[in-house]
Amino acid sequence: MEYFIYSLSLLVIYVGLAQLMHVQFGLLGIPNFGVVGFWGAGMYLTGVFNVSLNMPILLSILAATAIVSLVAWALGRMILDRSGQAILCATLAFSSIIGVLVISEKWLTNGVRGLGTIRYPFASSDFAELGFAIFILSVVIAIFYVSIRLRDSRLGRVLLSIRDNEELAASLGKDTSGTKRLIFALTCGVMAFLGGLSAPLKQFLVPYLLSPTVTFTVWIALVLGGKGHSFGSIVGVVLTVGMFDILIETYLPLPPEYAATIQNLKLFFYGFLLVAVIMFRPAGFLGAGRMGAKPKHATSTTKQEAAS
Amino acid sequence: MTYAKTVSSQKSTWGSEMLNVTNLNSGYGEIGVLNDVTFDVKDEVFAVLGSNGAGKTTLLKTLALLLPTSQGRITLKDADITQMPAHLASAHGLAYVPQEGNLFPALSVMENLRIGGRTGSRPMDEKLDDVFTLFPRLKDRTHQQAGSLSGGEGQMLAVGRAMMQEPKLLLLDEPSAGLSPLFVDILFESIKEAREKRGMTIVLAEQNAVKAIEIADRILVLSLGEIHLLKERKNLEMKDITAAYHI
Repeated sequence: MEYFIYSLSLLVIYVGLAQLMHVQFGLLGIPNFGVVGFWGAGMYLTGVFNVSLNMPILLSILAATAIVSLVAWALGRMILDRSGQAILCATLAFSSIIGVLVISEKWLTNGVRGLGTIRYPFASSDFAELGFAIFILSVVIAIFYVSIRLRDSRLGRVLLSIRDNEELAASLGKDTSGTKRLIFALTCGVMAFLGGLSAPLKQFLVPYLLSPTVTFTVWIALVLGGKGHSFGSIVGVVLTVGMFDILIETYLPLPPEYAATIQNLKLFFYGFLLVAVIMFRPAGFLGAGRMGAKPKHATSTTKQEAAS
Repeated sequence: MTYAKTVSSQKSTWGSEMLNVTNLNSGYGEIGVLNDVTFDVKDEVFAVLGSNGAGKTTLLKTLALLLPTSQGRITLKDADITQMPAHLASAHGLAYVPQEGNLFPALSVMENLRIGGRTGSRPMDEKLDDVFTLFPRLKDRTHQQAGSLSGGEGQMLAVGRAMMQEPKLLLLDEPSAGLSPLFVDILFESIKEAREKRGMTIVLAEQNAVKAIEIADRILVLSLGEIHLLKERKNLEMKDITAAYHI
């Protein structure tokens, strides 16, 4: 039961990360390939504050979130006005730097020996794990609520306009650079918050947790579910993390000697799904929703014009 | 002395000066396109003509502050806007309709119009009514995605959105490109109406020289990034234009 709660909590955190990428990439067009950097920085800073400085866990998470938001704002100032490829490389490099710092700055993180133990809030309670899982679920529901409201708001339309045509948006008086920086800093901050929530789940932080696989899994989930659809992240994460990391790897009664095979099968399955989705449903399983659906009336309209 | 330097001293009969461009050099990174361009725009329709590659789009993009000025000065109603960030130009009364990519395809027609209507002092609904009076076709398609409009309707929407900004100066980059003759007529009628009813100053870059000359007060012809001629319409002869296109 405990492991099931842990697995579900982790799945919900992945859903949250993918939903934040829906905002960053699906609505605003920022190709952030450093998800693990922001999530991992939040997780490790929470660990440092909690273990080394004895700060309460929730306060540690908030402090980590604030620091990562500021770092993201500064990083965004440097990179967000550059091309998509440059942003992709810079965010990937950022996450690599975080990975290296976690190993090299032993005085802070204890290096490869790891940092712990990080306990749940109200750890003495009988329902600490379940309560924490419900708290994580509430946070991710809040992320969904805000992102869906955002999409249909005036700011959401500005984000879409920046995604589709930044020059035009600027010529209409929209502060494109400022908006991108703000949304990037806030969403990366929330990624760090989810990282902070992951710290008590992991309990003991070691550098290998900051593997690029986290970023790739989030991206694969986003592409599979539909980057432009509000609920694409849920479908994508259930198909990836839910299907393999939880259902097959943990609960399917397979002999231990299949462990390595399952890992390889997982990569094969991800690749197969990606190819199939890109070929047959390029906008993801749920499609692009309202924000980028293919025009339905183009042909008829063109015919009308030709007739006139 | 280049022609550019002599035209700035010409007197015009169309009211006060809206835009002044002095010794403008601009381009794309290392590639210079505009070379020492100097002119002013009064309260008028000002046509910019020239063959492909003459620098019309570069000029309008630079005036819209979307391209950096490597040298020279742009003043709008006596305010130096040369180094101003592009997003502040709108608040200074400048609207720009690019030749391509002038819509937000994922947004509806109404959202496209509204996103341009936050500037200016008139109520949003009043401005929308004006646009729908000018382009009744758009009223039937308010909830349709802009990306699904035909070329002509898309161009109407782009011009309509610029009018929602209530600009003092409207920069139009080849609005007739790729449109059928009927749509070109509708579009040019709307430009005339914007000028006559709303008093907008219009800078119109066009390949369709005949249509542009019809509604312009003055005509500037660019050739290889430099001013080839600048004349009032009444003094213009077609051979002047033809000569510029054959350089």
